[in-house]
Amino acid sequence: MAYLSQYQYYNNAGQAPADINWGSYQYLSLYEVVNNFILIYTGNHSLVNNEERYKILFHAKRAIQELNYDAFKEIKALELEVDAKLKFILPSDYVNWVRISVNRDGLLYPLSENNQAMTSKAYLQDSDYDILFDEDGNALSPEFSSLDIKRILGEEKTIYLNKNSQYSGQMGHCCDGNWYFSYQMGARFGLNTATANANPTFQIDKKSGVINFSSGVTGELVVLEYVSDGMENGNDNLVSVNKLFEDYIYADIEFALLSSKLGVQEYVVNRARKRRTALLRNAKIRIGNIHPSRLLMSMRGQDKWIK
Amino acid sequence: MINSVRNTVLSILNKNNYGYISPSDFNLFAKQAQMDIFNSYFGQYNDQINKENARISGVDYADIRKDIEENIDIFSVNNPLRLFSSNKYFLPSLSTTGDQFRMITKIESYVTLLSSGITTAIAVANNECEDSSATFLEDGVSAGDVVALTVLGVVEYVTVISVTETVITTTGVVWSIIGTAYAVYRTSRKEAERVSNSRIHLLTSFNFIGPKTTQPAYTQEGELAVMYPEEINTVGRVRAQYIRYPKDPKWTFIELTSGEPVFDQSPSDYMDFELPVSAEMILVSIVLQYAGMSIREITAVQFGQAKEQSEDIQVKK
Repeated sequence: MAYLSQYQYYNNAGQAPADINWGSYQYLSLYEVVNNFILIYTGNHSLVNNEERYKILFHAKRAIQELNYDAFKEIKALELEVDAKLKFILPSDYVNWVRISVNRDGLLYPLSENNQAMTSKAYLQDSDYDILFDEDGNALSPEFSSLDIKRILGEEKTIYLNKNSQYSGQMGHCCDGNWYFSYQMGARFGLNTATANANPTFQIDKKSGVINFSSGVTGELVVLEYVSDGMENGNDNLVSVNKLFEDYIYADIEFALLSSKLGVQEYVVNRARKRRTALLRNAKIRIGNIHPSRLLMSMRGQDKWIK
Repeated sequence: MINSVRNTVLSILNKNNYGYISPSDFNLFAKQAQMDIFNSYFGQYNDQINKENARISGVDYADIRKDIEENIDIFSVNNPLRLFSSNKYFLPSLSTTGDQFRMITKIESYVTLLSSGITTAIAVANNECEDSSATFLEDGVSAGDVVALTVLGVVEYVTVISVTETVITTTGVVWSIIGTAYAVYRTSRKEAERVSNSRIHLLTSFNFIGPKTTQPAYTQEGELAVMYPEEINTVGRVRAQYIRYPKDPKWTFIELTSGEPVFDQSPSDYMDFELPVSAEMILVSIVLQYAGMSIREITAVQFGQAKEQSEDIQVKK
């Protein structure tokens, strides 16, 4: 970002919103990245020349996207109330999830992902089990499959875990927060660890853009922590990159352009690749914030007696 | 410089009574010679870049590239482009900007359009314009913003001094006609990227890097620049920096009774060479060649070619 006076930084020079510049010095805007790259790394005497600006912009944004996926530690969080269909619509800038928790009594309880099918599509069938079609030849589907209905109505049995309860470890129905058990006969062996959790489980339906929950979370607040691609819903004015990654971004754009250009010697491409890799490594170490003082704080606990 | 060139050429031609060229012929040859040299700058510039990349060029007084850049930049101008219709603007031409372009260096457009409309009243003495349907304050117009309008076919810019909801007071005496289309912009501009006609559709359909007012693009259609995004469609929003062609030189004179023309630079159509003084020797050489051909004197042509080659070698060294 541009250099600001203290007054501009703290009070936005008296304009609203006053907090818009707070922390901005850490970042470099997308336009600065592109402008700086064109100014410094392209030209008659540079390795990169005669390239369109939109290509440079493309590679800059791609680099920022990649950094957002794993290198940046910028986790977004969204809290929504789960509806009666046990669905949580993914945020518009969602790319991947980090953690999903249910907010109960001010405490966040992390939820487990359920690898078993929790939702499915269904086709209507006649009494001969033939699929029914509409006049356009498309198979007819009900709004919910029976699997979904069971999950939404809490008819699907799941394991109840509560060491203080005599029903702990038994299969039961969770409906509206209340558990119902069948009469128990004999002992129970084995445990499906994928669903063995007192809290509800979830499964992300990427194509449908929703998170499906097992029963018991209707009306509850669920917090989704996720990573985005940093594209700020298409508003390029807001796209930025941490300054610790500035050199890496330039190196990445240069490598992307050189490696896709005809007639560039392989040693030049290799040099660009090595530079890019080294800079990424450096930037990751820097943003990792491994300071001696932090290590010291952790090491102080080494002599503590564990009872 | 034009009189000096003419005198030199005539002096060489008349040395052995080879012949004489009339003022009108000289003006034709002068135009041609100037254009030859002007066009050669671009090739020379590229050659010089290649030399620099091959590390056979120097700095300081050996910086030939800088010399050529300065010669070309004499013809670099920045003018607003006149709106044709929707998002199409006239490229520089004699009828719109008063000159023709050889090369567009950059086209840029104002990023933020604050307000646009048509004046419903003016106060010439106060440099005020009024648009009864405007909402200037609500639109964020403030002092320092730029107002663009077209006056007699030419785009003019003035700066906002003060503003009310429907009235703007500006610098400059430009408000003379009620019903003038105007547009108000923030001062910042962004360069538009030239995109080939075969690529523009791909680019505009790709939101990720598609044209925006903060990163505009344009294509060329004949004498028009087509701006993207299409919301760039208001008066004065687009400016061009370009290298114009040199103006035609004209050696003007007073006709004396003896019939001998005497140089006179007072007429309004007088036009000197626009090339730098360092180009005078080559101008003489080239004009001499054309004049030699005109009077069918091959010796004059060969002499001119030899001088031009000699000068060219000096430049290349």
